[in-house]
Amino acid sequence: MFRLFIGNVRIATEAIVANKARTLLTTLGIIIGILAVTLMGTLISGLDRSFERSMSFLGRDVLFISKHEWFGNQEWWEVRNRPDIKLDYAGKLMEYSKYVRAVAPVVRRRLEVVRKGKSVSDVMVVGTTPEYTLTSTINVENGRFITRGEERSGSRVVVIGYDVAQALFEGEDPLDKKVKMGPYSFRVIGVIEKQGKFLGLFSMDDQVIIPLGSFMRLFSRRGWMQLNVKVDSDHVSEARDEVRGIMRRLRGLHPQEKDNFAINQQDAFRKQYGMIKLAIGGTGIFITILSLVVGGIGIMNIMFVSVKERTREIGVRKAIGATRAVILQQFLLEAVFICLIGGLTGLLLAYGGSLLIDKYVFPSTMPVWLAVVSMGLSMLVGIISGLAPSFKAARLDPIEALRYE
Amino acid sequence: MNDLITLKGVTRVYEVGTEKIHALAGVDLTIRPNEYISTMGPSGSGKSTLMNIIGCLDTPTSGTYEFEGEPVHKMDDNQLASIRNRKIGFVFQTFNLLPKLTALRNVELPLIYANVPRDERLEQAERALRRVGLIDRMNHKPNELSGGQRQRVAIARALVTNPSVILADEPTGNLDSKSGEDIMRLFDDLHEAGNTIILVTHEEYIAKHAQRTLHILDGKINEDTLNG
Repeated sequence: MFRLFIGNVRIATEAIVANKARTLLTTLGIIIGILAVTLMGTLISGLDRSFERSMSFLGRDVLFISKHEWFGNQEWWEVRNRPDIKLDYAGKLMEYSKYVRAVAPVVRRRLEVVRKGKSVSDVMVVGTTPEYTLTSTINVENGRFITRGEERSGSRVVVIGYDVAQALFEGEDPLDKKVKMGPYSFRVIGVIEKQGKFLGLFSMDDQVIIPLGSFMRLFSRRGWMQLNVKVDSDHVSEARDEVRGIMRRLRGLHPQEKDNFAINQQDAFRKQYGMIKLAIGGTGIFITILSLVVGGIGIMNIMFVSVKERTREIGVRKAIGATRAVILQQFLLEAVFICLIGGLTGLLLAYGGSLLIDKYVFPSTMPVWLAVVSMGLSMLVGIISGLAPSFKAARLDPIEALRYE
Repeated sequence: MNDLITLKGVTRVYEVGTEKIHALAGVDLTIRPNEYISTMGPSGSGKSTLMNIIGCLDTPTSGTYEFEGEPVHKMDDNQLASIRNRKIGFVFQTFNLLPKLTALRNVELPLIYANVPRDERLEQAERALRRVGLIDRMNHKPNELSGGQRQRVAIARALVTNPSVILADEPTGNLDSKSGEDIMRLFDDLHEAGNTIILVTHEEYIAKHAQRTLHILDGKINEDTLNG
């Protein structure tokens, strides 16, 4: 049986080689279909990876309490009129909650950082407390983070991001050197390890961190404060409910009143991302199915032509001993091979495309499973579209087939 | 000697629309090994139907057909394919070679369906081509060969499985008289070597090569004569 199969493989390949141009044109639908499915898969897997990397900056077990929701459709004036988040909530949350592990108040503003004629503009200046190291994933690679004492006393010390360090101190050790923000000068006490971009939007290395006290005194007493709340990682949703309850109590809200604060979480990004992914995936799958169906019909058509053209050949083969099963197999193999050629071509094109995406858009590689699935898919299209013509060939009456002109 | 082919009361009825056509109307025939038979008859006489049934391409509507003692009339499609493959060699008027394959690959074909290993296949195919005197042309495709040579390749293909009977349907019909004469001499040689051969022909002088001639008329064997 295996030898027969090899024989049929040979016959099928010869038939395809004999009709190169026709085969290539027929496979166009399959090529586009496979190209769509693999390129889309590559795109999504690349997106997934950079999304997960970005999400790790936020931490799964960190709640971000602020005036506004990250995503949502609240009226801006409703948000605008909410009371500010106050610094003393931090202590109260620690005191009242059983799930909260650490609270880091955070205030931000963009400023220019200057050193000896060199400057970096639009740097995110973050004012926070030592708890910030617990609620974020930053890692001080050179020097140290701000201490409790520095935070309380409002010392003019600063921990600088990787890119800022590169721009201002290329080659030099930044520690104990001075940088200026506005009219004030700060002493560098640490450099944060390189982190990369958040969702490809803004660099996490383009920030500097100063003690909260110093920020409040020098730059802004008010402003939109955010509380980064690290909670028990085994009870994140309970913690969220609890924190919400505490916040409502602190705000003195009646049960029928709506929250006038927002508790944000990684989940918000995940939901948004999930929707984007669904849109990309849905479109991709739609294109894929459409082109595979069109391609499959094309192949069915060309196989019917092939069977018709070779009626006499089928008659001869049957006369000298080919069974129905053998003829069926021969034509099915031909259809499958045509589809595999199309699939492989699509795959190669998609691979080239993924290299381009990797180089110019964002890091991505084509997952191996996707290549396997797409080849399986082309095979399936081959079998489905080859079935009817192959059955027709197998069922031909040898006498009539031999008489066919 | 055991009979090779035994037909008893074989009929073949085709239904064309509501009309029934009796292509064969009760044929009794016995053929022994190493017989050399020619079949003659006008078109529409039923000789093609008879050949198709003997060649296991078709089965009788009624009656029995035993081939080497096996009941062909009871066989299903796969068994018929198998018996065609192993026991019967076909030679057609229009050669019916596969145009894209070389002579060697054409001759090899029945052995592929007989599931013979590749090395053995090539060896047997070459032997068959040598037998018909075309070993030096084995890598040529049919369109690079003359009509006579094509028919030789077809005969080699019929011989390659060592069949019990060779059925030749007007094998010289598409050839000039010189090539036709060569082909008939080849059949004579094959008969000499022990093969059973059944020919269909229109030509009296071709039929004379055989030892026995069947005249078919109106779906029956009208005359069964031994040639002197």
